[in-house]
Amino acid sequence: MYMDEINSLKEKTDLILEISSLLMVSGASTARVNSNIERFSSVLNCEASSFVSHKSIVTTLSDKNSKETFTKVVNIPGHQINFQIIASISKASWSAIEDGWDIGRIKSEIDNVKNIVRYPRIVVLLAVSIAGAGFCKIFGGDYSNMLMAFVSTFIGLFIAQSSHKKGFNHYIGVYLGAFTASSVAYISAYYRIGMSPEATISTSVLFLIPGVALINSFSDMLDNRFLIGMARLVNGLVITSAIAFGVFSSTLIYNLFV
Amino acid sequence: MSIYLQIIEVSFWAGLAAVGFGVLFNIPKKTILTVFLLGFLGGVTKFFLLNFEVNIILASLLASITIGLLSIRLAHVIHYPPVVFAIPPMIPMIPGFYAYQALIAIMKYALLESTNHVEQLVLISKIFYNGFTMLFILIALILGISLPMLLLRKSSVKEGALPK
Repeated sequence: MYMDEINSLKEKTDLILEISSLLMVSGASTARVNSNIERFSSVLNCEASSFVSHKSIVTTLSDKNSKETFTKVVNIPGHQINFQIIASISKASWSAIEDGWDIGRIKSEIDNVKNIVRYPRIVVLLAVSIAGAGFCKIFGGDYSNMLMAFVSTFIGLFIAQSSHKKGFNHYIGVYLGAFTASSVAYISAYYRIGMSPEATISTSVLFLIPGVALINSFSDMLDNRFLIGMARLVNGLVITSAIAFGVFSSTLIYNLFV
Repeated sequence: MSIYLQIIEVSFWAGLAAVGFGVLFNIPKKTILTVFLLGFLGGVTKFFLLNFEVNIILASLLASITIGLLSIRLAHVIHYPPVVFAIPPMIPMIPGFYAYQALIAIMKYALLESTNHVEQLVLISKIFYNGFTMLFILIALILGISLPMLLLRKSSVKEGALPK
């Protein structure tokens, strides 16, 4: 009897940890991770307390009736932002409360969430390149500048994605992407394409800016979660410096030619 | 009149940029139109204010508050968490141009001969102006998006819908 209880508590803890790890990887703020855990654990008739850090999560689940507890640590894999996962888990947590789901139903729903596909690579490349062209327009480029921003974003993102696929260090991938994108943009400056080539150069690397990391960092700190907030801030700053080094390198090379 | 058309044109591109980043962040297909509209409205707010010579930091703050508030209202209508609409439209407002200018000034400063004091002073003022404008715009954007969420929502937008 006692072992059954512990085993079922272990199963629930594994599920809760899987959900929180999925949320962290997809780019949810810590408050969101905690509120989702709270909803799921209340459905499972438990109370959860967790410590969330950048690379691992510790959760203690205690059964509301028997007061038995179970604690486990799980490592978080590399972050890859996916808002569709965040939205689906949030929806599932509300349906679970409203319809009183059991653990099997929640598990099958989480398995569905894990199978969510991303947009095809070419769609992402084209969409982000259009965004790059849009940035160039915002910063005062004309249509030929925008075309060059499109091309440099496309090539830069392609390189960043490929280095990620090859399993390079994330920051080296960002550096290579920024270097490639700004080099292509400097080619347009060299041949004087468009009225304001500096708009092309400065917007060609914007697709790498760690917007989600920075926004989550500040919203965590406003929520008094300073440790994870600082971790996210440092992550954002290191990515920003990698971008800066990429632009720095291509600027040095450009200055050799003019 | 043409200035308003220009504002609309630039805001249209801001909306497209928001959708581009939405696709990178894998937002659900149903929210793409919403993200475009929020990016467009944020752009209209920001460029309209800039047109009346409002400071870019204040304009970014007001635009991001607009996006933050609207995204919370929209989360009630189309049932997705507010972050899904709120974050992609903020990305086009990130002050990349100022970051670039500050960086170039730092580079020039580092490579300058140390005897050229006048040029050094000019570069220092460029570094400070561009660097701090960038920093404050970033803080304004993040405040604008977080404050409505933290103020209006105790724990979730759906709280009112919970069966007691």
